[in-house]
Amino acid sequence: MTRDKTDYLIIGNSAAGLSAAESIRTIDKKSRITVLCEESHFNYSKPLISYYLGGKIDIDKTYFKDKDFYSSNDIELKLESKVEYVDSKKMYAKDSSKKEISFYKLLISSGGRPIIPDIKVIDKNIKEDVLTTRFDTIENAFNLTTLDDAISLKKYVEKNHIDEAIILGGGLIGLKTAEAFLELKVKISIIELADRILSTSFDTTASEIISEKINQAQGKIFTGTTIDSIYTEDGKITGLKLSNSDEIPCKLLVVAIGVNPETDMIKDSGIKMDRGILVDEHMKTSMDNIYAAGDVVKTRDMLSGLQKNIAIWPLAVRQGRIAGINMAGGKESYSGGFFMNSVEILGVPVVSIGLSSIDESTDKELKIYRQHKPESSIYRKIIVKDNHVIGAILVGSIERAGIYAGLINNKVDISGIKDNIAREDFGIIQLPADYKKHLVIGDGIEV
Amino acid sequence: MKRIFINEEFCIGCRLCEIYCQVKHSKSKKILKAFKEEQDDIMSRVLVEEIGHNSFAIQCRHCADAPCVEACISGAMVKNPKTGVVVCDEEKCVGCWSCIMVCPYGVINRNLSTKKVASKCDLCIDEEIPVCVKNCPNEALKFEDKESGREKKR
Repeated sequence: MTRDKTDYLIIGNSAAGLSAAESIRTIDKKSRITVLCEESHFNYSKPLISYYLGGKIDIDKTYFKDKDFYSSNDIELKLESKVEYVDSKKMYAKDSSKKEISFYKLLISSGGRPIIPDIKVIDKNIKEDVLTTRFDTIENAFNLTTLDDAISLKKYVEKNHIDEAIILGGGLIGLKTAEAFLELKVKISIIELADRILSTSFDTTASEIISEKINQAQGKIFTGTTIDSIYTEDGKITGLKLSNSDEIPCKLLVVAIGVNPETDMIKDSGIKMDRGILVDEHMKTSMDNIYAAGDVVKTRDMLSGLQKNIAIWPLAVRQGRIAGINMAGGKESYSGGFFMNSVEILGVPVVSIGLSSIDESTDKELKIYRQHKPESSIYRKIIVKDNHVIGAILVGSIERAGIYAGLINNKVDISGIKDNIAREDFGIIQLPADYKKHLVIGDGIEV
Repeated sequence: MKRIFINEEFCIGCRLCEIYCQVKHSKSKKILKAFKEEQDDIMSRVLVEEIGHNSFAIQCRHCADAPCVEACISGAMVKNPKTGVVVCDEEKCVGCWSCIMVCPYGVINRNLSTKKVASKCDLCIDEEIPVCVKNCPNEALKFEDKESGREKKR
């Protein structure tokens, strides 16, 4: 078989991949750029699929790059091309239809794949199995990580008049799924192993505010438990047994316990990995000419200094851009990032930034500044260590949240302004003089 | 490329910039009508911060590497490659507030009145001079083509 050839091969058609393609094109106007996408949609924004599921937006509003993005940037897009193998020595990739394409530079921005746990599946007629192997054959078990997931989930709910759903996982994806179901007037139950929902980014107070909203919307939350076994009949889930021995009926199950970096295609390539592809500050992997960006990488966490997988949209875009510049012969370094998220749950906007779930009990050296107005669901908490902001959580009142992200990014010493820092009217005018000057009359920000 | 520059020492906190911004972004574009009839529907995209005698007006800085553009999940927030102006396409905005989460100036607001979208300075692209600058009695805001450091970096 003849092998197709490209200059820049990009695996993945989402935030990191397209941001890289765009930045390569700003430097290299001539070379061939090829984007491979295992899905069939020309592009869509993953964070928007729950908006589509809940009916907040139409399917044609889920894209984030215009239809003419590819043609105007002279980028070749190949859909339904799932890369199964990358030869890092001979520099080619092979997809599931055995098509091969050789490259001069490669970017791996393949994102993540949902985790399916090894839960026991008990069926009347089939021998006992685990969910991991049975997942695709069960018609009422879903993930919500791709647009196709959202489309089939929405169809299933409408066609079968589903009025109740169970969500395994009370993290951000689980909650976004829950919100979409509530919009569709589907009653929800959330099963979460931790002692509270959103435990990785929310503290107890923030978590309670959201739990209460869910309860008011007739939603149920089971914490400190998980699914012990799943009962199926004729390829459908009929009920669940929880680890606390409770048995509950189930019409539809969404598994939302997280995603793992999608690295199957490079498992024998010699590219260094450690639950994510390891990259240097230029987003280059351990192999020359092979770069990686987005949810698939493990890279510098600014707050801990450690290599971490921080799978969020803004960092994927930034890493993609930096990878693209370096791939095209330019030079730019990634200084690191930190976790942040903005989500609105049942009308309550929440922004969490940095180390947002911790408090005094985690570390005695932390100073916590809080403002809490239970009657209006407003809660603002700023976490400070050694006179530097390391985290923030803003519930209900998220105005000017980015100022806190800026304080973390720019490592600003906030010794003189701590008393005001959690207030709703906190602004630039209260900031330390030098940093304020930098923002107001300075050259802008160096992110 | 012209940008708005802030002269903190000349600001007297009169908030005329806010008023004219609101009128400019109202439906009627008429000051009385805007403030009497569209009151709940008009937001200023420039913000006067004030403590005691200190004050200044701040609006979007139209950053070179704009973090709001990077964070936007819907493709609504874009930086015009020719003019450098960062604008939010309100038709595409889904109100996820990612831009608010990352803007270090805190100059993007939630517009909750008509539709739930991010509201920010558009540099009054159809005007010769942005209305906040034009109506500042004290030149505390200036619209100039001063090469700033962040533009030179590119």
